[in-house]
Amino acid sequence: MKKMEISDYKGKVKPSWCPGCGNHGVLAALKKAMANLEYQTHNTTIVSGIGCSSRFPFFMSTYGFHSIHGRALPVAIGLKEANPEINVIAVGGDGDGLSIGGNHFIHAARKNPNITYIMMDNEIYALTKGQCSPTSRIGTTTKCNPYAWTADRINPVLMALSFNASYVARGYAGDIKQLEELIQGGLEHHGFAFIHIISPCVQYNKVSSFEKMKEIIKPLPENHNIEDRVNAMAYAFAPNGPYTGLFYKVQRPTYEERYADIISKAKHLSGENYSIEDVMKQFK
Amino acid sequence: MKDLIIKISGTSGQGIISAGDILSYATARKGYYVTTYRAFPSEIRGDGKCYYILRISEEKTLTATGQTDIQICLDEDTIYEMQDKIKPNGVLIYDKDKAGELKEVKKDIITYGLPLTTIAKEIQDERSRNMAALGIVVGLLKNLHLEEQILKDIELRYKNKPQVVIDSNKKALKAGYDYAVNKLTRKDNFEKAEIKSTGAKLIMSGNEAIGLAALVSGCRFFSGYPITPATEIMEWLAKELPKFGGKMVQCEDEIAAINYALGASYAGVKSMTATSGPGFSLMQETIGLASMAELPVVVVDVQRCGPSTGVPTKTEQSDLFAAMYGTHGDCPKIVLAPMNVADCFYQTVNAFNFAEQYQVPVIVLSDASLGPRRECVDLIDTNNLKILNRQKPDLKEGDDYKRYEDTKTGISPISCPGDLYGEHVVTGLEHTQANAPTPANDIHRQMTEKRFRKLETAAGQFSKAKTYGSENASIGIISWGSTSGAVFEAIDKAKEKGIDVQALYPRTLYPLPTDWIKSFVKGKEVVIVIEANYNAQFKSTIVERCTHINRGAEVLEFLKYDGTPFTPDEILEEIEKVASVQTAKNDLQTNKHTHF
Repeated sequence: MKKMEISDYKGKVKPSWCPGCGNHGVLAALKKAMANLEYQTHNTTIVSGIGCSSRFPFFMSTYGFHSIHGRALPVAIGLKEANPEINVIAVGGDGDGLSIGGNHFIHAARKNPNITYIMMDNEIYALTKGQCSPTSRIGTTTKCNPYAWTADRINPVLMALSFNASYVARGYAGDIKQLEELIQGGLEHHGFAFIHIISPCVQYNKVSSFEKMKEIIKPLPENHNIEDRVNAMAYAFAPNGPYTGLFYKVQRPTYEERYADIISKAKHLSGENYSIEDVMKQFK
Repeated sequence: MKDLIIKISGTSGQGIISAGDILSYATARKGYYVTTYRAFPSEIRGDGKCYYILRISEEKTLTATGQTDIQICLDEDTIYEMQDKIKPNGVLIYDKDKAGELKEVKKDIITYGLPLTTIAKEIQDERSRNMAALGIVVGLLKNLHLEEQILKDIELRYKNKPQVVIDSNKKALKAGYDYAVNKLTRKDNFEKAEIKSTGAKLIMSGNEAIGLAALVSGCRFFSGYPITPATEIMEWLAKELPKFGGKMVQCEDEIAAINYALGASYAGVKSMTATSGPGFSLMQETIGLASMAELPVVVVDVQRCGPSTGVPTKTEQSDLFAAMYGTHGDCPKIVLAPMNVADCFYQTVNAFNFAEQYQVPVIVLSDASLGPRRECVDLIDTNNLKILNRQKPDLKEGDDYKRYEDTKTGISPISCPGDLYGEHVVTGLEHTQANAPTPANDIHRQMTEKRFRKLETAAGQFSKAKTYGSENASIGIISWGSTSGAVFEAIDKAKEKGIDVQALYPRTLYPLPTDWIKSFVKGKEVVIVIEANYNAQFKSTIVERCTHINRGAEVLEFLKYDGTPFTPDEILEEIEKVASVQTAKNDLQTNKHTHF
């Protein structure tokens, strides 16, 4: 396997994010984690939907699938099921993954495909120039919500835990070292790894800025038991959060492993030499 | 031609479909041709009525239509509904234990009110009434010698059920058979009914034919979401794909289903999804993505009455516009329409070949009258089918691979994750040849033309449109999909009455083969476009796409949108009407000439 440098992952397209955008930090952390694990570019695919953060695949030298709004996860899982040998990383924002694609998120979590899902949360729709998203705070005002935003926030970490994601972490784009560890842990994890990243928008979200987030985030206590789902949920719930770090990690069979069992069961029942001629018998 | 029409009807949950399926397998396996039609409500049990029609014959038949020879009614209501369709001297079998004395019976038919419930209860319980009734039919048609084969087919159908289920069904069938042979005072003539067995043939449903074609084409990934009447494709592939190392994945919705399939296709695996109207609407955005990102994917739409939830179990051909124009933007794709069960197989093989070769989404338009119906299919030589795969680039280190290279054919070789030196990003955004997103005017124009050029390249490869009837006919029919059986049968009947008609069935509906249509219309005085929708979707497409077609011949429409398929008689009536108008017009023309 080729030894990899961070520069090996540099894509043909220069990152188009605003200077100071949290996503730059996420890109750097992912590249570092991939280099640590010697991920080969030909064997890795970054899949995304639509949004600022979903431009991600263009900035990498790996295979990439920049799909449509909200559909990163189904594309990513289809790819993984078709060829489990490929390292599949889905990326996107809070609008993409929690609003238009919210349905896919919960089903991905319970199916447990061996993929990593990185959600860059800026609490706003930034590509469309600043409208409220499922993680925007009540009372936020935008051009679309000139008086106030009126819906409660989704808590992505709690949501992932509820639907039994087998690896759940939260990072902060301002702490690249911690991010690198959490992402690397997710890549190494055998199952659906969800990494929620607080990635402030410098253009459209003045409420949840780098300064503000830096003030309120805090690491999970060292003695937190990562196999204790209920406790992980309590930390996810905590009003004095948000906590960062690894909330939960547990090993359970992946979707591919469960399907491999089905294939061997089917092959066992039909016999190894089962052919199209055998299939035709049911119609004769 | 010798043929027999048997109809089984009753309330949903009484085992109508099971009885019909078992009888159709047994007849086909004895070497008779069988064509079927089934209609059922969407409730599993309830007040909905179920109908299963079988037409058993010596020669291949095109539809399961015509007057009934033997009618089995397992409930009371359908006795009154179905008896009008029974031929003179035809037989009506009903359950005397349930229906009692009949209120009104058609005079010229033979009725057998039999103790079906009693027979079934003596064995197990009344659930096997359907088999007792089937046994009666097998006994009445003693010369067809179905008794041994049908017992085998009962075993096959219930092979995963407890032995007691198999035994009670077999016993009920035998009891019915014995009753007909030994106890029944025969008033009918079916004792003499004879149909020649014509040897081995296949029997399958349209949905199974599509599943089989996918498997044979090398499809190893199917993702779907259950929906009537397409679910059978998913169920069949769920059973067969894993035996070949493939996967059938059930998704959370149809949007996920098509995106799973597209992800799998990007991984280099031939992929398909199947759905019906509502799911098809949900898939449209991703069909556009497949078109823009140039990824192969096959989408089957087993059409049902729409819009919205519509009539889930009934048939219509009203998704043609959605298939051709459903996606936003200029979206190259290919739309195919199989004509019958065998064609479901061959057009699905084509669908995979086109998708892989031209890197486009291919839509196969089946419908609720074609998907679930079983019919005999001539043997398929699976070893000699042309199966095509996508064109891969030949890459070495340092190559500057352009995923969307603009070529003469429009086709750019495609690498997939895992291939060395082939890394690239596919996207729904407009992009350069080297797959970088761009809003540049000249590039959007160039790439749109490149993508559509693939369809021009493909045009030479499309299956030739099927014609039927006399070439010199002055009346033409242009139609598509599942109407073919009724149309061809109507053309045969019209010929017997001295009216020549020729039909044209293009199997590729998009891009529309305008040349074939224009040359077909040449020489015709009038052309009737027949289709099962309100908007005359195919006719308006033809008129719009084939410039000045109206100058060559008058283009009429004959539409149906009540949820049932066309019958040959309806079409014959329309042909006769058009023919008489045509004759009158011609006479008028001739008279004018004489006058001057």
